[in-house]
This record gives sequence, C-alpha cells and structure tokens, in this order.
Amino acid sequence: MNNYPEVVAKIANDYLERVKSQLRLVPAHEQGEFLREIESHLYESYQQMPGEDDVARILAVLRNFGEPAEVVADRLPGAMVRSGTRRNLPLYIMGGILIALFGLPLGSAGFGVLVGLLAALAGILVAYFAVAGSFLLVGTVTMLLGLIRIILPQLFDRLVALGYIQLGGPVGEFLDHFSAGYQGILIILFASLFAGAGWGMLWVGKYMLRGLRFLFSLSFDWMRRFAQGARRKLRRDNREAPQLSKASFVKQ
Amino acid sequence: MGVLYDERHYGYSLVRVLSESGSISLKEGTIYPILARLDRDGLVRSEWVESDQGPPRKYYALTSSGRQLFDALSQELDVLVSLVQRKWKAPEQSENSRKKLVVRKG
Repeated sequence: MNNYPEVVAKIANDYLERVKSQLRLVPAHEQGEFLREIESHLYESYQQMPGEDDVARILAVLRNFGEPAEVVADRLPGAMVRSGTRRNLPLYIMGGILIALFGLPLGSAGFGVLVGLLAALAGILVAYFAVAGSFLLVGTVTMLLGLIRIILPQLFDRLVALGYIQLGGPVGEFLDHFSAGYQGILIILFASLFAGAGWGMLWVGKYMLRGLRFLFSLSFDWMRRFAQGARRKLRRDNREAPQLSKASFVKQ
Repeated sequence: MGVLYDERHYGYSLVRVLSESGSISLKEGTIYPILARLDRDGLVRSEWVESDQGPPRKYYALTSSGRQLFDALSQELDVLVSLVQRKWKAPEQSENSRKKLVVRKG
C-alpha cells in the first residue's frame, strides 16, 4: 500500500488520470496494467527522491518520468501514428471520421459495421476501376477505328457494310458532311476524350486505392492488437498475478 | 536488452541501472512502452512480484528468443563498428598516372 501525504497523492493521481486519458484507445486490461506499473515506479522514485518538500519531490519525480503523451506514445496503434504523414486526402479524412465514430475498441456490432464498410468501399473501388478500364478500352478501340478511317477508308466502309461498325442516326448523318480523313480525325478526337477520362479515373483511383489500403491496415492493426490482447488475457489467467485493487495513494 | 540479459529487472531498477552507468539519458516513463513492445514481441517475459516496500513490481527478463536477437544484434553492431573504425587506404597509384598533364597552347 502506498503512503503518500495527501497533497502528493492528489498530484500523483492527477498525473495518472492524464496518462489514462491518453490511453483511451488501449484495451482496458492493458490500461490497468500499464497504470499499475507507472504507479509502482512513481512511488519508488518518490521514496528515493531526496528533499524535505514533499510537493517538490513528487514534481521532480514526474518531471523525470516525462509527459503522459511521451509515456504512452508507443502504446497507440501503429496505424494511428502512420496516418500523420498522409492526412491530406479525402479518404484519410474519412478514415479519421470512422475512427472517431467507432473508436478502436469496437464491440462485435461495431466490428461487423467496420467489416461491412470496408467490403462496401472495396466493392465501390473495384467497380470504379472497371469503369475506368472500360473508358480506356472504348477510347483505344475507337481511336483505332479513326486511324482505319484515315488510312484504310475502304476497309472502314466494308466494316460498316458488314455491320461490325454501326454509325446510324444523327452521328452518321453528322459525319456524312465530312470527307473520310476528317471523319477519322473527329473519331480520334472523340475517342481521345474517352481515353483521357479513363486515364484520369485511373490516376484518381491511385489515391483512392492508397486510402483504402490505409483503412485496411488500420483495421488489421486493430484486429491484431485485439487478438494479442485476448492471448495475453488467457496467459494471464494461467499465471498467479497479484490481484490489485484500484490505485489508492492516500495514506492509510 | 543487454541489462536484462543476465538478471531480471523491474522498470524503476532498469532505469536506475541505465542512468547510473551513464550509458543513456532518457525520460524514465519512456522505458515502459519499450518494455511493453518487447513483451508483445515475445522478447521479454514479465511477472508481477509483491514488494514489502510498496506496490507490487513488474519484473522483466529476456526470453530465449530475446537472447538470440540480442546476440545477433550485438554481432551486427560489432561488424558495423569495425567497419566504421577501419582506416580505408586509397590504392597506390603508378608513377605514370601521377604525371602532370601539360597543355601546350597553339
């Protein structure tokens, strides 16, 4: 049991509360163990600290121990730390909102929602890339047809006659006003719009892919920590660890 | 890891050993996240032990995999230090290569 003077106990408890608030994303049992360890350290350090003034002694102990943010920095999930360098993209911001909404210690319902959201986002991204690929394919093929119209107009006419190329309606009537060469150029210009859109979508998709990868890594990181926590709890149950009551610094 | 190689320590005693040997200067609290990470990676094992001087202490000791890693890291560091301390000599140049290049005008 600790034997702090009351004023020292208040200062130490306040420090532990600040550490605890920094650990809110860490599983409860890890929090408890970490705080007990710090409590033990502070007590011993206080006992060894020379001086007559109790307050000055505990303040010196806390100064040597470090700010709560420094002490807990490594206890936060790795993905949270990594996210600091890539915060400028919308999907990262969305990832931050997801964390804010659900937190890392998700319950089973939150876990299901998270998996569903990730699966939905992955599906949207796959559909997005499929559309981008289609645009690129259509643009390339149409560009090829434009080139055929310029270089081999007879072949183009034959393909139209056979029905492989269908240019009826207003598009066909519009193209009839121009010579074969100009028709080819117009077709290539039209095709380049599609191809450009496809390339643009792929370029934007690169960032979306990174964002999704970030969200997945964040989720896997949480799952890994959850599994480790469960394993540690099982191990702890097998050990004879001393059962400690809540920290009490007040002199008995 | 070196301090934990031969004997077990709890956080406070570990900090004392490190600071008294003058080998490292650190904020005392930063040792715990490091110990937690080593514990998580299975490089140290920990156990709570009751203390008659105050709250229980959490003792840490290196596991066999921790010892293996420490030995491997020590060897790598030795190689690195020997490479840095080695005085690299430039290869001897032949007399012909040392001749001055004379450029004549006109």
